Amino acid sequence: MFQSFRHAASWVHTWFGLVLGYVLMACFFFGALSVFDREIDRWAIPASRFAPQPMPSFDQVLRPVFESMQPNQASLDQARTLVDGPLPMHWDTPKAWTASATHRDPVLNLEARWETPNARVPDDVVGLRTINPRSGKALADDQLKVGSQFFYPLHHNLTLEYSITANGRDLGKWIVGCAGLVMLVALISGVAMHRKVFREFFTFRPGKNTQRSVLDLHNLTGVLALPFHFFFAFTGLLIVAGSYFPVTDTQLEPLHELHEKMEAQETGLPHERAGVAAALASVDAMVSEAQRRWAAKGMAGEVGALRLTHVGDANGYVSIFRAGTDRIASVSEGIHFQASTGQVLREDPPQTTVGGIADFLVGLHLQHFRHWLLRGFYVLGGLMGAACIATGFIFFVEKRKKQHARAGAQGCRVVDALAVTTVTGMLVATLSILLANRLLPEALPASWLPRDRLEICSFWTGWALAMLHAFLRSGAVTLGKINPAWREQCWAVAVMAIAAVLLNWITTGDHLLRTIGAGYWPVAGMDLSLLVAAGLAMVAARKLRQRERGQKATGADRARAPAGAREAVNV
Amino acid sequence: MSTDSLRRRDRAALAARTLLAVLGGYAFCWGVIALCAAGTFPLGMEFHDGETLGSILALLLYPAAFLWAFAARSIWRVGAVLVGGGALMAAAATLIQSALT
Amino acid sequence: MSDELLLAGAVLFSITGFAWLALAMDPHWKQVHGSSQPTPRARILLRVAGSSALLLSLILCNRADHATIASLVWVMALTAGALLVACMLAWQPRWLWVLWPWGDRDKRSR
Repeated sequence: MFQSFRHAASWVHTWFGLVLGYVLMACFFFGALSVFDREIDRWAIPASRFAPQPMPSFDQVLRPVFESMQPNQASLDQARTLVDGPLPMHWDTPKAWTASATHRDPVLNLEARWETPNARVPDDVVGLRTINPRSGKALADDQLKVGSQFFYPLHHNLTLEYSITANGRDLGKWIVGCAGLVMLVALISGVAMHRKVFREFFTFRPGKNTQRSVLDLHNLTGVLALPFHFFFAFTGLLIVAGSYFPVTDTQLEPLHELHEKMEAQETGLPHERAGVAAALASVDAMVSEAQRRWAAKGMAGEVGALRLTHVGDANGYVSIFRAGTDRIASVSEGIHFQASTGQVLREDPPQTTVGGIADFLVGLHLQHFRHWLLRGFYVLGGLMGAACIATGFIFFVEKRKKQHARAGAQGCRVVDALAVTTVTGMLVATLSILLANRLLPEALPASWLPRDRLEICSFWTGWALAMLHAFLRSGAVTLGKINPAWREQCWAVAVMAIAAVLLNWITTGDHLLRTIGAGYWPVAGMDLSLLVAAGLAMVAARKLRQRERGQKATGADRARAPAGAREAVNV
Repeated sequence: MSTDSLRRRDRAALAARTLLAVLGGYAFCWGVIALCAAGTFPLGMEFHDGETLGSILALLLYPAAFLWAFAARSIWRVGAVLVGGGALMAAAATLIQSALT
Repeated sequence: MSDELLLAGAVLFSITGFAWLALAMDPHWKQVHGSSQPTPRARILLRVAGSSALLLSLILCNRADHATIASLVWVMALTAGALLVACMLAWQPRWLWVLWPWGDRDKRSR
């Protein structure tokens, strides 16, 4: 079909890259933002702007909160689709209670899990709560954590959670999965197409014609960050591989059951409830014992996660894991205690070879480590990925613009308008939700939608408006010119970013001098990033204006002007 | 008119190769994971480790299979290896499972 | 030595390492020095110096952090260093002259 491997690779890279590139832009950009998702949460929820805390006392602070928790509405709604009949009014026997802390979160995330009774397929309902660990008070339910509860899920499932089967969830997750696969394909095919990977390693010629300099930038951002792009696409897919290939839940379910029974016997951690009620011993004492054992191994550390399984039952056990702040593995060194007596049931043995490799691959993506330089590098990598895809779109359009203009075809116009939507439009959407977050009052009238729904609405509305604008202004592309929407949306981004910083000041009093002075970097960093983004957007808008003016120069002017001036016009 | 039918044939061929790349690749990966998970069980590897090892291999092979579906001259060979191979590996996994459970 | 200094050193070595490797290539040598190519001796020296600097960067990363983190920091430091060198070559190639001020004796194209 194709004359050579390179020819086939070129076709696949161009067309699959084009179609899935729009999804990949979102994955890379929101993935880059997710590196600092908890810091974005602090900006969005002023009530949580205090210093990170270690895990508080379970007995004093966490237990009363867990005992009062019930499943969330969203979880109940999902469970209702799997059950023929009514769901219990009150949920009493939790399967598990989990608390997790990181070195970046001032607030603590708590989860309670119950088995869904009479479900057609095995299922759980979940209750989630976020508390201030110093007081035990919960944050209001409608306080959207813009970073960890919106941008982060957006990058791995586009927040599209429609069921495609009764058991399946997350249509968006499958779309992102396909995009991830195409990313790997595009990386391999891109290298195959690029004949001068080493010779043009450092090559970037911004002064040359648009097609050449855009292609240079595409190659540069692709090749220089190739390990990053490959590893993030690969590990992202690996983390969710169990969902994409549910082999052990379907074809190999019997073997899975056998394994779980064997594991329960081997580890001494009961697989099922005993059906006998039992009291809970002091978990704080168990935490102290765990920390003593870690220190004895030379790995003193904080608690990363705490889980109580088979709550209230004689077979209940408490698992305590060490926070992975100084290494790649997210949590490790689990120690398990009998819930009713506090006796140590098991200390997790050192990781197997495959387990260690898996921990490394998963941990490098999930980033529980404490290393600000590496995080900064990750953001750089993510933005380089987004730039690679964006320049890919621009190159596609530039290469075909003139011939489409001559032939009167609309293809380039559509691709370009969609490119504006996914590049500057995505920035407009991001800023829309931040502005909504600051503009909406803390307490909303009862008749309005909840605050988090309104914020999410603003995001999608902003994006839709950007898309409409991009298409309305795309006529210029059919004449072989630049779509003015690029420049106009750059200005919109600059204005919105500055407005966001000002609104933060006005609504919370935390202006840059105060936050930098106090050393409160989550908020200061966010404001600074917004200002830098505004600056870059303005520079981009100016450059685009120059290029648009240059394109207006007629052929006669171009012929008359000396070579030097022609070079200046091309910049 | 002959160019029209040529374009239609090309489009059909590309569509077929796309389906083969996506679905054939998926079938092959499923087989790899199943065989790895089931095959390493009697060898003493922890079950989830076997599954993870299979997933790592599968995710490395999937993009390669994808490109092969477009680069290969014979689409039938690709189909035989990806779909046939995937089915064989999955069948082997089920056989191992029935021997153990 | 403090972790911050070690990591700063690692990043600096990445930048200089890639700058030297770039200078060993004709078009980039020309951008920085004006003359068309480095002498064969300079080319070898630049390649050795460049690779050594990148290796030193890895060593410094390993001194600062646990091995699993250090490997990632190094790979990303390479990306950042290479990107910076590419940008300097594109916009201010003369700045890289300080890293290898010895132009070759053939001054014909100056």
